[in-house]
Amino acid sequence: MDKELLIPTSFADDRVDGVDKVTGKATYAAEHQLANMVYAVFVCSTIAKGSIKNMILADAKRAAGVLDIIYYANCPAVPGYNPYAKDPNKKGYEWRGLKVFNDNKVYSNGQPIAMVIADTMERAVHAASLVKAEYVKEESDTDFENAKADEKKLKKPGEYKRGDTDAYKKGEVSLEEEYTIPSETHNPMELHATIAAWDGDDKLTVYDKSQGPKGTQRELAQCFGLDEKNVRVVVEYVGGAFGSGLRSWPHVPAAVIAAKKVKRPVKLIVTREQMFTTVGYRPHAWQKIGISAGKDGKLTGITHHAVSITSRYEDFGEGIVNVSQFLYDCPNVNTSYRLLPLDVNTPTWMRGPGPATGCFALESALDELSYKLNIDPIELRVINHAVLHPISKLPWSTKFLKECYVLGKEKIGWQNRPTVPGSVTEDGMLVGYGMAGGVFGAGRGQASAKGILKADGTLTLQSAVSDMGPGTSTAMVTMGAQFMELPANKISFELGDTDLPNGPTQGGSGTTSAIGTAINVVCTALKQTLKEMAIANVPAFANLKPEALKYEQGIISVTDNVSINISYTDILKAANKPEIEVVKDSGRATAEAQKYAMNSFSVHFVKLHVHPVTGVIKLKQIVSAADAGKIISENTARSQMVGGAVGGIGMALTEEVNIDNRYGRYTNANFGDYHVPVNADAPPMDVVFVNKADIIISPTGAKGIGEIALVGVAPAIANAVYNATGKRIRNLPITPDKLI
Amino acid sequence: MPTQNKNESRRDFLKKSTALAALTIASPVLTKAGENDEKIAALFEQMPLRLEVNGVAHALSVEPRVTLLDLLREQLHLMGTKKGCDHGQCGACTVHVDGKRINSCLSLAVMNEGKKITTIEGLANGDKLHPMQEAFIKHDGFQCGYCTPGQIMSAVCCVKEGHANNAEEIREFMSGNICRCGAYPNIVDAIMEVKKGGQSL
Amino acid sequence: MINFDYIRTSTAKAAVEAKAKSASSQFIAGGTNLVDLMKKGVTSPEKLIDINSLPLKQITADAKGVLIGALALNSEVAENAIIKTKYPLLAQAINAGASAQLRNMATVGGNMMQRTRCSYFYDITMPCNKREPGSGCGALQGQNRMHAVFGTSEKCIAVHPSDMCVALAALDATVHITGAKGDRKILFTDFHRLPGDTPELDNNLSTGPGGQKGELITGIHIPANSFTKFHYLKIRDRSSYAFALVSVAVALEISGNTITNAKLAMGGVAHKPWRLSAVEKFVTGKTATKETFAAAANMAMEGAAGFGQNNFKIKMGKAAVAEALLQASQKI
Repeated sequence: MDKELLIPTSFADDRVDGVDKVTGKATYAAEHQLANMVYAVFVCSTIAKGSIKNMILADAKRAAGVLDIIYYANCPAVPGYNPYAKDPNKKGYEWRGLKVFNDNKVYSNGQPIAMVIADTMERAVHAASLVKAEYVKEESDTDFENAKADEKKLKKPGEYKRGDTDAYKKGEVSLEEEYTIPSETHNPMELHATIAAWDGDDKLTVYDKSQGPKGTQRELAQCFGLDEKNVRVVVEYVGGAFGSGLRSWPHVPAAVIAAKKVKRPVKLIVTREQMFTTVGYRPHAWQKIGISAGKDGKLTGITHHAVSITSRYEDFGEGIVNVSQFLYDCPNVNTSYRLLPLDVNTPTWMRGPGPATGCFALESALDELSYKLNIDPIELRVINHAVLHPISKLPWSTKFLKECYVLGKEKIGWQNRPTVPGSVTEDGMLVGYGMAGGVFGAGRGQASAKGILKADGTLTLQSAVSDMGPGTSTAMVTMGAQFMELPANKISFELGDTDLPNGPTQGGSGTTSAIGTAINVVCTALKQTLKEMAIANVPAFANLKPEALKYEQGIISVTDNVSINISYTDILKAANKPEIEVVKDSGRATAEAQKYAMNSFSVHFVKLHVHPVTGVIKLKQIVSAADAGKIISENTARSQMVGGAVGGIGMALTEEVNIDNRYGRYTNANFGDYHVPVNADAPPMDVVFVNKADIIISPTGAKGIGEIALVGVAPAIANAVYNATGKRIRNLPITPDKLI
Repeated sequence: MPTQNKNESRRDFLKKSTALAALTIASPVLTKAGENDEKIAALFEQMPLRLEVNGVAHALSVEPRVTLLDLLREQLHLMGTKKGCDHGQCGACTVHVDGKRINSCLSLAVMNEGKKITTIEGLANGDKLHPMQEAFIKHDGFQCGYCTPGQIMSAVCCVKEGHANNAEEIREFMSGNICRCGAYPNIVDAIMEVKKGGQSL
Repeated sequence: MINFDYIRTSTAKAAVEAKAKSASSQFIAGGTNLVDLMKKGVTSPEKLIDINSLPLKQITADAKGVLIGALALNSEVAENAIIKTKYPLLAQAINAGASAQLRNMATVGGNMMQRTRCSYFYDITMPCNKREPGSGCGALQGQNRMHAVFGTSEKCIAVHPSDMCVALAALDATVHITGAKGDRKILFTDFHRLPGDTPELDNNLSTGPGGQKGELITGIHIPANSFTKFHYLKIRDRSSYAFALVSVAVALEISGNTITNAKLAMGGVAHKPWRLSAVEKFVTGKTATKETFAAAANMAMEGAAGFGQNNFKIKMGKAAVAEALLQASQKI
């Protein structure tokens, strides 16, 4: 472990794909050039519930350049849409989610109901505008506020209890409050897109915006009844995703269906508007928290209920209330979580899924409690610090949460925080400070990697993962350099192609530890192979055992006599081999690891101004402190933290999907009206890492960053708003109208 | 929309017209009758366009409805300029037209007759990166990279326009370029450095 | 988008004539709003008349004021030395709108002609009397957080989205227009309309054979003034690149501590830039104090009525007027 910590955190600070990205050479899904390619464009429903009586296609068919129009009545059979018909044992092969063009049912407004394929983009777009549908309309329900009041409409996925139920009601100091967040969309900058090309009837190549090429390969192979090896998925660059690329949405099979029908490669780009209704979102959620403590600040009870929306055709739930079960030490905790199906499209995981929503309520409630107790909110959290995981009673593999409080508190200047809300002004603006914690699971996943060590001295590492932006390639090169003790410029990382060894889906902050572990195993195997090759091919090493040799910085030497040594490139030359390669799998978590709880932690600190008259908020500074294990690349890790905080600003202050319940239709499905933060919203930001390796989780020492970067930011801002104004906003986003 | 079918009527009219028939006969390269009609009708719907992209002169024939963005991406295969919203709401499509930054998604290609377009592909001097590109790498002014070409094109003009005098001004004048990964503070740092460097952009 | 015809014209006369010939034609300048509306299917002209080559880009000043050509870019106006020194309120308002890129495309005339950003207007599957007269107003009982609190009708509660126009309304500008029947001038405050029974009409350009926009804006004249204190305050849902919830343009002359002349207009509250003439009269001659501004703010929002989600605009409007007056009065 000591040795781990001595190695510099970063060998190559710049992103390895930086030049590609700043020169426009990086190729994203819709940008691959295929001969003979044509364009498909979705036509989407204009009602929220019902069925299609008739499609009016005449005008579109007559439009220039149209090759085909596909909808439920003429859609070729898709094996995964109806697997039971042929083989009742094929349940696992059923397509998950909306079976696009499978039937005439409409489950949500904006659902794809037809697809026009034409020879140019303009012609496809125009022809799609000419397709009209006649519906049999049914009454739709998209009104969360109304529907959640009706118990009968709620589905019951889970309850949890330890100690007494609703203990907070008897607590010395207690409160009970409700918190809501609206639906929020991922809206990565790159439009979701798929290019599909068939080679005969049984071979398929797909270029897709996916967080998991292997996952997409599996889904498509099952959906179209193909051998996985005959489905190649290429994901060279991903222009952000934040969860929207964790699964295949309707446009992916649609592009494949189109390509099959017109017998040409097809490019299908989902428009920004269509992305609101087809590629998931963070679900609208209501939460109620009851919380109590003794006058000493020790928590005595937490009750946490949540309801979040899902579609009629799929249940999507996430761990919203889980944070209340384990983030702090509390003897009495009960939680419930239920789903509310509405006539909407299916939500999905979005950055920090579960805890992002849950921590808004829990960390706001703790802040409220701190004022009631007259205890500093940081102190309140320290008092309730959990040493053992409150559910499993296991120790954490590492937990440096208290260090985060100390680091962040100093950086933000916490001593300047007004103890009485609304009591301090700077330049005529009310000043507020707030903080809140974040957490996410840090268990390690499984991955494979290949290492190709060449006689020219270079090492190529490969895994079929994709990189939606955090800097996976950079981290893998850095770790490869560390494990092989070679300069980073000798190492490259190849990804984004299902022909490569099995990589995980990039999500849940687990990519670095999973593939990093595989790379660690690969490097260990390469060193072993080099030793064996030296013994077999280099006379000076003849008859020695591998155990008698050591590898250091590219040199194999005899442990007892280091004057006998040879470089790895010379070993390959002696063996007359241009390269050696090994493929290794990380395996699953070790038995030792099962004895621990594993989490990454963050604490976010915010300083802001609120205009006393107009309610306009101006963020002044954000400090994010993180216990994310060892930091592999300081540069990209910092950027990821900053980016998560910007996402949190959106969650706190600007983002909200609006729906007109009379039509079940979104009214702000565009970047003009759905406000993601702009540059002027982002204040100066600081990131502090505890930077201590967690080698129980993986030999990389890393935990994870992606989620904890965002989780806790929104409540930290809401808490700062309260500190500035005395106004507690429990329904996000905190727009100026809520503060006047 | 009653007007939407007019174009199809015009196409039908063109296909039936004798002028078109004569053209078809006169053209030796066109052989299949149906296909001929389609190709010639398409020609009637296009208009000539001359513009310069990254120093290369192009003489093109385009439909008036083609945007500058789609011309660059789908016809000239310059994929560096990105489509993020297609409605002027994100800045990913930012290019320079006669030195000014604009949203290419809201500019019809035909409106750029005789103009000089610079895209991200034309910013570097051969293998030598533009100072703004260098600064974006140095300050890690991006993550996924998708908004990056638009950010860089916008940033170059932000400095040239004289709107990069302090962080606050940069934030405001770079707010037309959305970055969902949230690289804003790093983008501001990159621009500040270029501004301080004083290189000619 | 249909594949429309496209022609370029080089004189105002030729443009107006071309417009008169084709019932389904529209002028295009910057295109930032028109191309967007065409993509959304809100409008589908069969012919676009490109007016960018018309000689209407000049900004010329004399003792009487400044004449801004209709084709001057928003960014050129905001950066223009005359505007920055003599009409800084206009520069400030322009820079509060859209983005640097859009301001490099959008023209002054186009900015005036931009249509409402009401979601129901923009979504062709929704009812909207402005887009499709008689189809109903979706916003009236729908998502109306962004909508008007002044001058509304049962037919339409949309707001005009411009920032620039709020400043021009405050500054007593005049619109110069040409058409088949010759040239004419309209006071800027009379240019845009209230919705009434004809919300499809955004403004008072003549409805000749070429439809509502048969006439062509050639320029904007702003009379010379001696306002030394000014402020454009815009409250929005994010720090930049968003339409106003409420905005206020204020220009003041203050002698000693007495307001001797005042101009005020609001944005985000009505179907047109909302001039606050009564408030101007009220504050003139009064001392520049917070009490005066508070009273002015109350007066400003008299008669305002919300539709549910936008009720907050009444309170926010008061706050904005008071704050804008304060900010303007404190300008050195």
